[in-house]
Amino acid sequence: MVFSSITFLFYFLPITLTIYYIVPNKFKNIILLIVSLLFYFYGEPKYIWLIITSIIVTYLFGILIDKYKKKSKLFLILSIIVIVGLLMYFKYINFVIENVNLFISNQIDFIYVALPIGISFYTFQMVSYLIDVYKEEAKVQKNILKLAMYISLFPQLIAGPIVRYTTIEEQIEKRNYTFEKFSLGVRKFIIGLGKKVLIADVLAELNTIILGSNESSILYYWLYAISGMLQIYFDFSGYSDMAIGLGKMLGFEFLENFNYPYIATSITDFWRRWHISLSTWFRDYVYIPLGGNKVSPIKWFRNILIVWILTGLWHGAAWNFVIWGLYFGILLIIEKVFLQRILKKVPLILARIYTLFIVMISFILFNGDSVSHILQNIGGLFGISNLPIASKESLYYLKSYFMVIVIGIIGSTPIVKNVMGSKKAHKFMNCIEPIFLLFVLIVSTSYMIDGSFSPFLYFRF
Amino acid sequence: MEDRTKNIVITIGFVAILTILFWANILKQNQEISITERRKLAQFPEITLKKLINGEVSNKIEKYTVDQFIGRDTFRSVKSFFSMNLLRQKDNNELFEKDGAIYKIEYPLKEQNLNQSLDKINEIYEKYLQGMPVYYAIIPDKNYYLKGDEHLKMDYDKLKQIALCKLQHMKYIDIWEDLELTDYYRTDLHWRQENLQKVVKKIQTNMKIESIKELNDIPVNIGEFYGTYYGQLGVKVNPDEMYILINDVIENCKTYNYETKKVGNIYDKNDSRDKYDIYLSGATPLICIENPNANNSKELLIFRDSYASSLAPLLVQNYRKITLIDLRYISSTLLDNYIEFDHQDVLFLYSTLVLNQNVLK
Repeated sequence: MVFSSITFLFYFLPITLTIYYIVPNKFKNIILLIVSLLFYFYGEPKYIWLIITSIIVTYLFGILIDKYKKKSKLFLILSIIVIVGLLMYFKYINFVIENVNLFISNQIDFIYVALPIGISFYTFQMVSYLIDVYKEEAKVQKNILKLAMYISLFPQLIAGPIVRYTTIEEQIEKRNYTFEKFSLGVRKFIIGLGKKVLIADVLAELNTIILGSNESSILYYWLYAISGMLQIYFDFSGYSDMAIGLGKMLGFEFLENFNYPYIATSITDFWRRWHISLSTWFRDYVYIPLGGNKVSPIKWFRNILIVWILTGLWHGAAWNFVIWGLYFGILLIIEKVFLQRILKKVPLILARIYTLFIVMISFILFNGDSVSHILQNIGGLFGISNLPIASKESLYYLKSYFMVIVIGIIGSTPIVKNVMGSKKAHKFMNCIEPIFLLFVLIVSTSYMIDGSFSPFLYFRF
Repeated sequence: MEDRTKNIVITIGFVAILTILFWANILKQNQEISITERRKLAQFPEITLKKLINGEVSNKIEKYTVDQFIGRDTFRSVKSFFSMNLLRQKDNNELFEKDGAIYKIEYPLKEQNLNQSLDKINEIYEKYLQGMPVYYAIIPDKNYYLKGDEHLKMDYDKLKQIALCKLQHMKYIDIWEDLELTDYYRTDLHWRQENLQKVVKKIQTNMKIESIKELNDIPVNIGEFYGTYYGQLGVKVNPDEMYILINDVIENCKTYNYETKKVGNIYDKNDSRDKYDIYLSGATPLICIENPNANNSKELLIFRDSYASSLAPLLVQNYRKITLIDLRYISSTLLDNYIEFDHQDVLFLYSTLVLNQNVLK
């Protein structure tokens, strides 16, 4: 079940909120656990056993790590082997087989295994919990139902953000319910829904048209690159906004996952603003344990590259994701060595154009299904192979999607937020905002009813 | 407005919309069909353990909740309005409205599909029709007559060129100059029967059919017609008026449907979801029209799509029997089980829409 579906919005959510607010506080966690498991079961019935098994394993290892301090490191390693092993099996086994087969004559058969929804997200949450318990930064959770509720909590279960146990440790025990918080949650949820349904899904249509077209022109390649860039941002940040909004409606406070990444002035800055929960996870659980930047330059660069290869692999079991990760790793090293100093001196607009261009190319790498496809899409931007500047078809689709792209570009910046935040406009915007939000809710509903079913891009991770 | 008031309005509005639509959907009776979309609507699925585990139940519930959503047509209109008027999109699900008429983009020309369609026609010619008088005409979709370059159109010249090149054993009848935009329904893809006189004349002339006598075709208004595009686009435009042409010959003809084995009339006044089905009972693999008043024994075979349903009755005065074959619903390999190919006149009559897909079996 995705948040931008009729089933979720008009059946699951009203029933869940009603029961949740009717039952006394002491039963709220158990209610959340039940509805979260139902939510998962509805979307991925055959792998419900996997998440339950993972929860039990995490719970038991948490207890062992906490109880047997002398052997806690051994238990931590064992737990990570088991939990990450499951992720490795389900996500990477065929990638490994494919690459091993390149070097052996007796080919290994591929294993038919589907990627369980959300496994990359909930695995990282479990690992963070166990490491935090090991490092005594979090208290072990002795109540398995509460731990299960944390891991399976439906707003962030299948596509993040990756909520650390330490972030909501206290909230599991006690949450504040205020009208203002609920209202902020509603606001965040509707904005996320609009981002996903009215922008990301519409741009997804454009990308599908372009990919299926035989015509090519420089304009077409730019349309593909720009709309792809906007689509992935609105898709993923929309989902994160909905998750954070739902969390607030249920009394939780999750950390922000995006902070206007497309106004970043460097790649370093970009990764402080994009999928923040993932980049901070890798920083805290991989980069810093490896020594971070407190080592020799060679080891420092090695640490960066390891983190970014892993980041790439986290996004998918294919070489283009590894290349995508390495691309960012190398650029970050270049920035740290000298480029960032230069970027700080050049006008902001130039720094932003540089960042956007690098990011745009990165998404072409990210979406490419073969080297030739990637090269074709990058080459097309610069008119390689004597492409025409524009074709009739590309002009038609530019006109047809122009408004969505413009709204997407404006929505990627804090312009609207700044206008709304100004004192002069505050009262006026307060009048407009409820009308706007309810309008977005109704229009998004109409798109869900008319449109085709469109799962979130980040489901596959 | 104060922040607190704003929060109250947002929350109450959100909760009210969710609650009202939740209960409205729970209390609403399921509908079997959508009249505007001309299709069956998904029903609540049967739940078994196996279907639950393999995800079939979830998938079907998703379709069910969308199909049965209260005010579905209104919401679809809201979507159309928003995408075309506020987002200024040129089309909505490839449909667009211009000057009160609805069009569907048929773009680009899919040469591979076209070639496969033409190969199929040639294959039929080789197998069944050698030595017989064989003609073909291509019916342009109504986008062809739409003025301006605002919307995408397939390369019609290339389509004709390829067809002329590939169908050299048959005689081409060019009817493109005999039609104009007003000869098509505004809310549907099809042409208007009452406007086909020029096309009929062109076909008769090219096939050397002498009109026996001038028939007095009387157009009879059978009411409003909400075409296929009307339901698909979800935008309110005025419905078409539908007419059928009546004359003595047509009224005395009988049809025989090989699929249903039923004898009927040319105009089938059933309760079909699609009013265009009044012509020869709509889509069917094989149907013939028998003209008891024919003063000759000539027969005509029409390989056709739905456009021919309204045209064939206007050719029937010249034949004792017209057999209409729709290769979208019957394999060409089975034809000699039903038809004796014996020097009948043969007409391939396909629209650009069908030729541009690979749907002929």
